Amino acid sequence: MDKKTGVYICTGCEIGDSLDIAALSKVATKEGKVPVCKTHSFMCGSEGLALIKSDIESEGVNTVVIAACSPRVNYDVFDFGPSIIMERTNLREQITWCHPANDEDTQMMAEDSLRMSLAKAKHTELTEPYQGENMVKTILVVGGGLTGITAALEGAKAGYKTVLVEKNPTLGGWMNGLFKQAPQKSPYTGPEEVDIAERVKELEAHPDVTVYVGAEMQEIAGAPGMFDVTINQNGNIITERIGSVILATGAVPYDPTNLGHLGYGKYENVITGQKLEELASKGKILRTDGKEVQSIAFIQCAGSRDPEHLPYCSGTCCVESLKQATYLKEQNPEATVYIFNKDIRTPGQYERLYKRVQKDGAIFVRGEITSIQEDDEKNLIIEAADVLSGSGINTESVDLVVLATGMVPTTAFGENLIEQVESDESDKTDCESSVEPVILKSNLLNLAYRQGPEMPTLKYGFPDSHFICFPYETRRTGIYAAGSVRAPMDEISSIEDATGAVMKAVQCIELSATGAAVHPRVGDMSFPDFAMQRCTQCKRCTVECPFGAINEDEKYNPLPNPTRCRRCGICMGACPERIISFKNYSVPMVGNMIKAIEVPDEDEEKPRILIFACENDAYPALDMAGINRLNYNAWVRVIPVRCLGSLNIVWIADTMSQGIDGILLLGCKHGDDYQCHFIQGSELAEVRLGKVAETLNRLDLESDRVRMEQISIADYDKIPDILDSFAKRLDELGPNPYKGF
Amino acid sequence: MAEILDVSLEMRDYIVSSGAETLSECMQCGLCTNLCPWRLVHGEVSESFNIRKMQRQAQLGLDGFDEEEVLFACVTCGMCQVNCPREVKIIDNVIGMRNTTAGAGFIPKILKPVVSSVRSNGNPWMGAEDKRAEWQEGLDIPTFSEDTEYLLYVCCNSCYDPRGKKIAKSVVNLLQKAGVSFGVLTAEEKCCGESMRKLGDEELYQQLAESNISLFNGKGVKKIITTSPHCLDTFKKDYPELGGEFEVIHYSELLGNLLKEGKLAFSAEQAKKVTFHDPCYLGRHNQVFDSPRELLQAVPGLELVELERTKRNSLCCGGGGARVWAEVPAGERFSELRIIDAVDKKADILVTACPYCITMLVDACAGLEKGDVLQVMEMSEFLSSAL
Repeated sequence: MDKKTGVYICTGCEIGDSLDIAALSKVATKEGKVPVCKTHSFMCGSEGLALIKSDIESEGVNTVVIAACSPRVNYDVFDFGPSIIMERTNLREQITWCHPANDEDTQMMAEDSLRMSLAKAKHTELTEPYQGENMVKTILVVGGGLTGITAALEGAKAGYKTVLVEKNPTLGGWMNGLFKQAPQKSPYTGPEEVDIAERVKELEAHPDVTVYVGAEMQEIAGAPGMFDVTINQNGNIITERIGSVILATGAVPYDPTNLGHLGYGKYENVITGQKLEELASKGKILRTDGKEVQSIAFIQCAGSRDPEHLPYCSGTCCVESLKQATYLKEQNPEATVYIFNKDIRTPGQYERLYKRVQKDGAIFVRGEITSIQEDDEKNLIIEAADVLSGSGINTESVDLVVLATGMVPTTAFGENLIEQVESDESDKTDCESSVEPVILKSNLLNLAYRQGPEMPTLKYGFPDSHFICFPYETRRTGIYAAGSVRAPMDEISSIEDATGAVMKAVQCIELSATGAAVHPRVGDMSFPDFAMQRCTQCKRCTVECPFGAINEDEKYNPLPNPTRCRRCGICMGACPERIISFKNYSVPMVGNMIKAIEVPDEDEEKPRILIFACENDAYPALDMAGINRLNYNAWVRVIPVRCLGSLNIVWIADTMSQGIDGILLLGCKHGDDYQCHFIQGSELAEVRLGKVAETLNRLDLESDRVRMEQISIADYDKIPDILDSFAKRLDELGPNPYKGF
Repeated sequence: MAEILDVSLEMRDYIVSSGAETLSECMQCGLCTNLCPWRLVHGEVSESFNIRKMQRQAQLGLDGFDEEEVLFACVTCGMCQVNCPREVKIIDNVIGMRNTTAGAGFIPKILKPVVSSVRSNGNPWMGAEDKRAEWQEGLDIPTFSEDTEYLLYVCCNSCYDPRGKKIAKSVVNLLQKAGVSFGVLTAEEKCCGESMRKLGDEELYQQLAESNISLFNGKGVKKIITTSPHCLDTFKKDYPELGGEFEVIHYSELLGNLLKEGKLAFSAEQAKKVTFHDPCYLGRHNQVFDSPRELLQAVPGLELVELERTKRNSLCCGGGGARVWAEVPAGERFSELRIIDAVDKKADILVTACPYCITMLVDACAGLEKGDVLQVMEMSEFLSSAL
């Protein structure tokens, strides 16, 4: 497309009072040879917008550069449709609001900023959405328990065909083993009849739901909108084409054979909560020796909140034991119930159940169990510390001890394939990530993904992604974990989680069909293009993609799957041959932006610092600094990046050879509580930075000239200090010797 | 962990059946202990008595709750109970625990003559039964009959105690000035039994209550005015269980109503700074907060100042729960904190409306030698002087 660029400089919001607008206009007209350059005191107002629209319609302007406020605001106002290339120069938040007015350095900053925008506009092309083949809108649900049933039904009710696969011969999962379920309705004081059968009936009656029981996932190949799924139902192979997937395989109780210290396996009347459900379902609760049970001691956190076993809280065991206590009290109000606990956790309305069981006279003991002994009649006596009376106590003997064991997600089982692959091929791969996610071969999804057949898991084997910002997301686009496989949860939460996940699945299907990114760059139409003739099969892109978007052929050529892609550009940052580009984001584009910065001669004593700022947190933090009128160093120039992980090392060399004195990488917090929208991007950037020293040494430069800082959006107040301390260090190092070359 | 104690469900059940019906509902958060007035003083009782722990021991039937300085420490002020997030009836739990031992005669030595006096004289103040109505000398009070609207029931303390007698007289004076139709049955009455119930002698309480109820019912009593908030509380909340259904009102509330109706007015100027101590059983237990203040503010020239802890958060004088007879070392009395507070507020007079509070506060004021700056007065005494 032949570009005709129009530059529109807004002089409102103090911009016109702070800058020499005529001089700024000359950067566009004289240096940039832009045919159209106009100013207005209220560009986002109707007059300003009319000015731009009229140039588009009658002057043939098709590339619009608006030098005004931050691109984070007024994006809806400055939207001239998909056929116009749009670039925003952030004069307001990042220049005039945080630097002195009518100052030489502020003016230079604004001019450089416009130069970078012009360079960017010049290298930006219109995006063309990716169109997959035979895209479908069917949702696959793996797992036919409460969560899976709810997800399939909710999806079908929303108008989508759903396919449900359950490995057992019947639907219902965990709920089938319950005598009664925890209360879901007012007054929340007692258990309710298990309602799973009604849910199954409703599901099976729905015309848009296909159910395969006794079936397992043999393979899920492809990508969102066009997964090719192979189901093995008792040896019969069925294939389905699927839009998005919900993983609802649930959790299993922690293995009680590890709980010998609580008497399991040693005394026959020490059982699990799961077993008690079975006993209660048969009528009167009887022991194996036939004795009618009149007293039970429940032991909470049996293997939970315990670093030796499950370090986490399973969230539901307290409620389950309280519920089971009512089974016994219903049979005999005089029965004795002890509940040994670390704390009683009964969130929400379950407090009412807790209160009821207290009223019924259950004895709650907070403290560690010190021993469990069996008497001659196979009754059990528990010795424990009673924190609340400050003494140790011995119970009277009880008929049964019930261990409330926690939940282990089904994704936590299986052999760790990655470790094997890495050790086998370590000579061939040049993996830069220090924390390769764990993928276990747990035979749930059997993904035909280069990274491995299942979902990558975080701590403790749960396949979640970003538990604070994006609770329903996982690390595989279009595959959503829901229910107790995602996090320990009760029935009500599972129902809610299933509903939320199915909404995400619908969102994925619909966006993928239009070629738009699903998450977190919702609606982004750009996607990476691979110039395959120059690929060296180094595998960096395929290994480093945190989302498993890129498969490989047998010769290690990358095989991108655009609908799996989150458009973060981590592959672009990884590629040593720089063959990966987006239409509107590429290695040469940023290279040209760097080159657009005017670097004053050494004797002018005006050093330059280039900031690569993550668009998700660091760039907004810079805006926030401006909104709060914090003053910061005027040597800085800012280039926003989609993710710090998209930073290609060549930009470091470009910047240094340009004579710029230092580079600051502002990215998100990483580690266990990472805030990176692309999970590993900021961490990968840091790993790559470790290797920059080598590049700098080759250029005969100090490695201190490149610094990385982790910053969250709330850290805007720290920005002046971060910049000043870096400027101080650069001052100590002296000017970049490449200046003026 | 010091020692291993055996849980006794039998003991637990005995305590529950003795009145601690909500014992198991306590979730041991400890709010009660934190709000307990015993936390404000230091000494043996304060160190031994922890209401949360006491209930914990009872929940498990463990030894410990029954030690004398623990079991009889609670003043039943209700500060914990009105704030309990589980709405546990903490005072009933304490009474239930006391019942398990007091019923068998195990009570603190100091309470033994008190209980004996109640048994033999119908009052805890060692007063002869035939002298109960002595305070009426010189007054013209009709005997209660069907022609009188109210029965005035005078607390035993006001029947026998020299200071108390003055209070009874002042109350009568005020009621007469306001034109209230009332009569008395003093000579035939017995102690209301409040303290006996609180110390754990349920049987004795019931004897007293039944005697009074049969007297009141026999005479056709419908409405009762009490001089003490403790009698008020018992008549109102405890007597109905035994068949005594009466409309009961504390004299301060009745006078407050009459003031609003214009039937009572104060003309003698009292240019004094006055503060009001809310008795637990009038305020926290029966929500009478406004009438006493409205009455005081109706006195010309008076400046009413509030104590630091007031109304719902009022600090107990230390005399409830049968502790009006307890011997508490100087420096460990709640009443001393009240006197210090009133003196800090530069009040000339500390007014209250309960015979037990008067006993405790007068002692504390004398003990602290603050009599020269602060006067302790029962409200009826003060209001009579302002007529």
